[in-house]
Formats: sequence, C-alpha cells, structure tokens
Amino acid sequence: MATITLEHVTKVYPNGFEAVHDLNLNVADGEFMVLVGPSGCGKTTALRMVAGLEDITAGSVSIGERVVNDVSPKDRDIAMVFQNYALYPHMTVAENIGFALKLRKVPKEQIKQKVIEAAELLGLTQWVDRKPGQLSGGQRQRVAMGRAIVREPSVFLMDEPLSNLDAKLRVQMRAEISRIQRRLGVATLYVTHDQVEAMTMGDRVAVLSAGRLQQCDTPQNLYDHPTNLFVAGFMGSPAMNLFEAVVAEGATQLFIGSQAITLPSELHAVRPTLKSYAGKSIVVGIRPENLPLTDNARDSESTASPFEGHVELVEALGSELLVHFTTDAHAFEITEVMDSNAAGLADGTLTKGDAGVARVEAHTKIAAGERIRFWLNPERLHYFDRATSELIV
Amino acid sequence: MSDLVDSTNQLEVGRGDVVSATHGPTSKKDGHLRRKAWIRRLPLLPALIYMVIVTQAPFVVTLWYSFRGWNTETPGSNKFVGFASYSAVLSDPAFRSAAVVTIEMTASAAIISMLLGSAMAILINRTFMGRGVVRTMLITPFLVMPVATALLFGTTIYDPYFGLLNWILSPFGVNHVNWVGLYSMPSVVAVLVWEWAPFMMLIVLAGLQSESLESLEAARVDGANAFKTFVWITLPHLRQYIELGLLLGSIYIVQAFGEIFILTDGGGGNGSATTNLPFYIYNKVFNAFDFSQAAAAGVIVVIATEIVATVTLRLLSGLFRATEVMS
Ligand SMILES: Nc1ncnc2c1ncn2[C@@H]1O[C@H](COP(=O)(O)OP(=O)(O)OP(=O)(O)O)[C@@H](O)[C@H]1O
Ligand SMILES: [Mg+2]
Repeated sequence: MATITLEHVTKVYPNGFEAVHDLNLNVADGEFMVLVGPSGCGKTTALRMVAGLEDITAGSVSIGERVVNDVSPKDRDIAMVFQNYALYPHMTVAENIGFALKLRKVPKEQIKQKVIEAAELLGLTQWVDRKPGQLSGGQRQRVAMGRAIVREPSVFLMDEPLSNLDAKLRVQMRAEISRIQRRLGVATLYVTHDQVEAMTMGDRVAVLSAGRLQQCDTPQNLYDHPTNLFVAGFMGSPAMNLFEAVVAEGATQLFIGSQAITLPSELHAVRPTLKSYAGKSIVVGIRPENLPLTDNARDSESTASPFEGHVELVEALGSELLVHFTTDAHAFEITEVMDSNAAGLADGTLTKGDAGVARVEAHTKIAAGERIRFWLNPERLHYFDRATSELIV
Repeated sequence: MSDLVDSTNQLEVGRGDVVSATHGPTSKKDGHLRRKAWIRRLPLLPALIYMVIVTQAPFVVTLWYSFRGWNTETPGSNKFVGFASYSAVLSDPAFRSAAVVTIEMTASAAIISMLLGSAMAILINRTFMGRGVVRTMLITPFLVMPVATALLFGTTIYDPYFGLLNWILSPFGVNHVNWVGLYSMPSVVAVLVWEWAPFMMLIVLAGLQSESLESLEAARVDGANAFKTFVWITLPHLRQYIELGLLLGSIYIVQAFGEIFILTDGGGGNGSATTNLPFYIYNKVFNAFDFSQAAAAGVIVVIATEIVATVTLRLLSGLFRATEVMS
C-alpha cells in the first residue's frame, strides 16, 4: 500500500525529444488515477518512469515515502500491464501468470491456486496450458492482466490493458479491474485512450497533451469545468462545440456569429474577468447536451437566449439524436501539436471545425434542411481566452 | 484453342488422376503435359547431375571398395569378399578407440566452445566503444585455416622451449613442458575450441539479439534480478540457438583432421590418444594401404553420423515448428 508521487518529472529521450515536461502528479493510497491523452503524448513514457524502465531526466518519482529514481524495477514492488503485453513466449499461460509468484518463492500449491483463480476471473481457464503464440490478441492481453493481478503489489501500472478486447468483454473487464483494485486498495496508474474508461473507472483523471499535464481532477469536474481548450475539446464524445464569439461592449451580450446571447449579471458575478474581454474575440464552448430545444430554463431563471442553426444531418442513436447544424459563426476544433516546444494554446491549435452538434431527445421531429432553434443558458457555456486558451474565470 | 483444352485438362488432373486415367483421349494430353513438365525442369538438370557426381558417386565407389578386400600390399587381394572388411574394422580395437576419441573430442570441443562462445556473445551484446572492431577480432579465428591454426599453436604456443604458454606460466614454476606430448588431447581440444568458439558466439549472438526487450522488462518488473532473468527468460529463448550451434559445430568437429595431423599426428597417451575416426581412416589408407577397410570404416562412420544427425535434427525441427507457431 503506497502512494505515487511525481514531482517536476521531465523526460528527454537520447535523441533530444522531450516526451514528458515538468509533470506533477500525486496518486493517493488506494486511488485509481487514469492518465488520458492523445496518441504519442507521453503516457507510456510517464508510466515507464514510474516502473523504473526509463531513466528520469529531471524531477523525482516516489512510491510511498521513498524516492525511487535510482531504485531498480524489481525492488519497486510494482505490477505492470504492458501496452504490447510483453508475455514470456516460452512459458504457458499459467507459467506466465505465476512467474512473479515463483520468483517470490510462494509455495507451489498457493501459486497454482492463485493462477486458477486469476484465469477464471479473466476467462482464460481453457487456455492455461497454451503458449502466448497460440493465443489471440485479446487473450494475450488478458494474460498480461493476469500476470499483474495475481500479485499484491504496492502499485499497479496499467498501459491500455483493455485496448484489444471486444466491446462486451471490455465492459466486463472494466468492472473486474475496478473491483480488484478496490479490493486490494492499491494505488493505480491506468493509461487509456478510451474516454468511457477514463470517466467510469477513474477516481481522478489526468489529461496529458504533448508531455504536459493539462488538468487533473475527478471525471465529473473535468467534464463540467475544463480549465483550458484542450481538455474541453478532448473530454466528451461527441466533443464540445467551440465557436468564435465576440463579447459586446459593456459585456452584456455575446455575439456568436451574428446571434446575440444575453449575458446576465449573475454570470458576471461568477466570472468577473469576462468583463475585461468587452469588445474582444473569445472562444465559447457548448456541450452538445446543453443545446435544449425547449426553453425549460426560461421558467425558473429566464436567462436563456435563442440560438438558431441550419440542420445538416441527423444521426439517430436510438436513445437520442445527434443533430449536426451550421451557423454563421466560425466553428473550431482542437488539433494537438506534436512539437512540445510550440507553446501556447495548451499544446493544441484551433483549426477550422465542422458543424456544431447537439444531443436531442430521441423522438424529436426534425430533418436535415430545416432550421432549428436552441435555447442557450449562458451559465452553461464555457468561455476561453483565445490567446492563452485558458478558461476565463 | 489448344490452350483452352490444356487448361481444362489441368483442372481435371488437379481434381484427381482418376479422371484422366479413365478417359482415353485425355491420356494423350497427359503425355503432352509430362513433356511440358520436363521442359520446365530441364534447366535444373545440370545442377542435379553435378550434385549426383560430386556427392553420390564417391560414396558409391567407397561402398564398392568396402565390399572388396583390396590392400595394395597384398597382390590379388582386390576381389569381392562380402562383409569381411566390415567385420575386420568393427573388431579392430583401434577403430573402437578412435570412435571413443571422436566422441570425447567432439563433445568436449563443442561444449567448451559453446560455453566460451556464449560468454563472448553476452559480453558483445551491449554497446561499447569499438564494438565492431572487437567483434571482428573475435570472429577471426573461425576464418583461419585449421592447418594454419594448428601450425601457429604448435610452434608459437605449445613449443616446449619457445612457446608462449611455457613463458606465461614460467613465473609459476612451469618449465619446458611438452604440452602436445603430455596433454595431447587437451592441446587438440584447445585448438578446436579456439576455432569454434567464434562460430558459437555468432549463433548465440543472433539469439540474444532476437530476444524481445519487453519480456526482459516484464521480468524485471515481476521482480527478477539479472541472474534470474537470464536463467528463466533468456536461456529458454537461447535454447534452440544453443542446440543448433552444438549440432552444426559437432558435425564439423567430428571431421577434424588438419589440427590432429599437424599437432600430434594422432599420437599421445598410449600412442593413439588423438586418433579420431577421420585420422583412423587416413592411417588405414596411407599407412596400412588397406583401401577396403578404410572404405568400410568410412561407410560405418557415415551411417552412424547419419543416425545421430537425423535424430538430433528431428528434435531440433520439432523445436523450430514450435517457435514458428509462436512468432
Ligand atoms: N525511445 C524513444 N526515443 C525517442 N523518442 C521516443 C522514444 N519512445 C517514445 N518516444 C516519443 O515520445 C513520445 C511519447 O511516447 P509514448 O510512448 O509515451 O506515447 P503514448 O502517450 O504512450 O502514446 P500511445 O497512446 O500511442 O501509446 C512520442 O512522441 C514518441 O515518439
Ligand atoms: Mg503508449
């Protein structure tokens, strides 16, 4: 049982590439921390530094009270699931899973017991005598998982352990991993691409982009209060709509394209700096579910303004409709910048985006080509500085 | 048109010969096909003939002589005697001693050069300055001709008066030891090891470099130290490479001749401590002038080696199949 602490951790690869920049992260004892970010942002690198498989260029990594920068992996008491499985090719599934226990001189009977349990949990029972070469990708991935869970380490490190499983198995394993982690109460650092995994499994989620930590918070906070454009654009599916907007003189109105949204004084009470953007161009973010067709909010608070668009496409998902619409406002999307030295915009750039997307109740009568009117509640909007990409507070 | 018929005919043949055999008209086409097949293979014929002449003809000639009693010292002996030469060879104590010497020499040289070669491979399997140069230098002994190697060892290293070995050991009270005379088998084995360790090194190095770094990392995370990682992860991976090296090395070391001829002339111990089977056969021809017994001994050696090699190869190919599935 231990915590994981990364302080000002930087990794520069021998070829001069800075994969992780000044990363600060603290995983509490028993906490499930999810690390998300686009491909190549340095998630695996960060994990490998915690495991001790990669030198730390600057900063310190601690497990528990101990700084482990110079501690060899075998003495860190970690269990790791590798992104590419890294199974032992000449050992059977059972031997793979039991290897760590064998090294610890656990009695044979006990090893067998634990391997059987793990294999059952992972649905590998019929393959325990096979070698990894005779397994499918998903089966190998589960063996890699099994190798980690038979141990009772002080830290779990998992690098996209479910990426190769089919949807059904993934849901099942997600629950299984969460349960095991809670039962063992082990601090866990879990890397994933998958938003749903990040939102459902993590006690907290750390968003990484181009080697820099963007935000680290509970999934709900991350979703509700993204602190910069990158997080806003990255978390959520479909992604948050981002429009260019101009704050009118006096900051009582906001123009999204040619449409005016009233900014009530209550909003200025919560976001005092917004006033200073009067006359300036900003980026406004709207979650697809915050585009209601009826003015429910109007009855209680009466702050919503109409916002109209032209329906381009309607996607029926069964439970809801995704309405793609265009307005005369510039739409943006976030594209990650790979060069970590290109500062600004939190390592992303605004590029011209497609139409806006709204989530609408499933049985709404609407078709492409029609005009659609939403009711925008300004308190549900996210306001970002265009230059720094930070949230305007 | 004929092309069309041809292709349908081929289809039929593909489905089963029964079809073409039962229909009269198609058998003529069959002949045509056979001729085409021959024309396609004709360019291979010279190579085939060459192969047969070079590899099989000498063997057949040897077989022929092994059933005759031909000794050039005995006039009129060149006639058919059945298995007499074989029984003479098999009951010859010198032949049996030569077989034992061959086994001892081959096994010890192969195993020691494998151990040494593996150690060198492990050392060279990391990056350091001048690695390329060191690797080339380590391989060089393998490229030197056996006779030259043996001459070098005999004159500059083992020599009782001017040899390096005596000079190096002189501070420890070793003086003018006749290494080749007193320790003839170890002297020959040492030369063989010097020649074959680089070969083993190359094979083991190939094995080391094909190992996935990831499973080594996984082992470290699982808590294995360097030694345990080597024993549990690297060694099983190297096993097939080691076996292959031992097999190929042995096949060549069994045939060692030049080293023995130059260094000991088959002598040492009771006078034949380094006479292996090739040297025995050489003696039969060039000292006893008994061509038929030499031929019989040669045939016996070939058959024995064939059996050993087949069994070993079968074991190895089983391994190869297992790894094919794996990768
Ligand atoms: N050994 C290395 N030398 C140089 N650069 C490297 C090395 N390993 C990784 N990188 C670079 O560092 C960056 C981060 O790599 P990393 O493997 O940590 O990404 P990741 O976030 O895990 O991506 P993915 O989600 O695709 O697995 C990448 O841009 C990669 O090209
Ligand atoms: Mg990765």
